[in-house]
Amino acid sequence: MDEFEEFLDEGGIVEPNDDMPEAYRSAIFSFIEMHANSEYMGGLTERDWIPRAPGLRRKMTALAKTQDEIGHAHLLYMVAADLGVKTREEMVTDLLEGRTHFHNVFHYRVHSWTDQIAVAYLVDAAALASQQAVFKNCSYGPYKRILRRVIAEEGFHMRNGEEMLLLMARGTDVQHQMMQESIDRWWLPSIQLFGPDSKPDDELLRWHIKSERNEDLRDRYIQKLVPQLLGGGFSIPDPALRQDSEDGKWKIGEIDWRPLEEIMRNGGPDSSRRISDARRAWYDAEWVRAALDEAAKADA
Amino acid sequence: MNTYEVFLKKAGKEPFSHAGSLDAPDDELAVAYARETYGRRSEGEQMWVVDRTALLVGDEINLAMADRDHKHNDGRLVAELRQFDR
Repeated sequence: MDEFEEFLDEGGIVEPNDDMPEAYRSAIFSFIEMHANSEYMGGLTERDWIPRAPGLRRKMTALAKTQDEIGHAHLLYMVAADLGVKTREEMVTDLLEGRTHFHNVFHYRVHSWTDQIAVAYLVDAAALASQQAVFKNCSYGPYKRILRRVIAEEGFHMRNGEEMLLLMARGTDVQHQMMQESIDRWWLPSIQLFGPDSKPDDELLRWHIKSERNEDLRDRYIQKLVPQLLGGGFSIPDPALRQDSEDGKWKIGEIDWRPLEEIMRNGGPDSSRRISDARRAWYDAEWVRAALDEAAKADA
Repeated sequence: MNTYEVFLKKAGKEPFSHAGSLDAPDDELAVAYARETYGRRSEGEQMWVVDRTALLVGDEINLAMADRDHKHNDGRLVAELRQFDR
C-alpha cells in the first residue's frame, strides 16, 4: 500500500487492468457507483418535467438534459463495471432495491417549475463544482476521461438553470415569489450536497480521487452563489448569514446535518417514492430490453 | 449483451481517439447507441465501433524495449560539430 500511495502521490494514474489494492478498488468503485446512481435518479426527475416545461423550447431542452443525465449514468456504470466488483445489472438492481445510495438532492420532491429551476441551477452548480474537483486530479484514468464529457454537458445544464433563474428574477411578482419559495426549499440540500467537513484522514483525498476538501468546495460555492442570488433580488434562507467585515467573505450559520443523515439511510422526505418510481420505470421498460435481445438473437 | 469500444475522429488532421464503451445487444444497435452516447453534439465526423472481444491488446511486455537511443537524434553531436566549424 505504501508503494501504491507513493505512486499516486507522484501523479500516477491507475487503469482497470493494473494491480491495485483491494481497498482502492472498492473505494473508487463505490464512488463511481454512487455518481452513476445519482445521474440516473436525476435523469428520471428531469424526465418528469418534459411534459410540464413551459413552451416547446424548454421541453426540448428538458428532453436533451434527460438524455444527458441517463447517458452519464450509462457511461459511469460502464466504467464502474470494468472494475469487476459488480455487473451493471447488479448495480441497477441494488439501486432499485434501495440497497445503495444516490445524492441527497434527489431525495426531495420537486413541487413546481421553479423548483426544477432551483435544481437546474443551485443543485447543478454544486454537482458541477464537486465533479470538477474530482476531474482535476483523479487517479483513476477511465473515470477522469469520462468526467471530461460529463462536466462539459453539466455546464450546459447549469447555464440553462442560470438563464431561467435570471428570467424569473426579472419576471412578474408571482414568478419572483415562486422562485424565492424554491430557493428556500433547495438552498440547504444544495449546500449539503458537498457533505460534512472532510475527515483529516479521508482516503478519497489520500488516494487522489478527490482533490479538494468538502468544506473548501462548499465555501467556494457559497461565495459564488450568495451574491448572485442577492443580486437577483432574492433572499437566502439562513438567518445567520453575514458578510465578514474583514475579508468580505460570506459566512453561513451552523448546518443541521440531520436531513443528510436520514437520507444516507434512504429515509429522506421523498426517498421511498423516488425509488419505487425508478423501479416502476425500469420494469415497465422490461419488454423493450427483452425485444431488443430477441431481435439480436434472431439476427445471429 | 456485448461490450463495444467507441472511437471518434474529429475533422481535419486529428487521429481517432477513444471515446468510451457501451453495452449493446448487437452491432446495429451498438452503432446507434454509440452515436447517441458519444457523438450527439458533433464530437466527431467519423466513428469506429469495435466489439471489445475483437480488440488485440498489447501490454507493457509487448512494448518493452521498443524505444532505444539509436531511434532518436538529440542533435548534441551536430551542435558540437557546428562549433568546431567556426
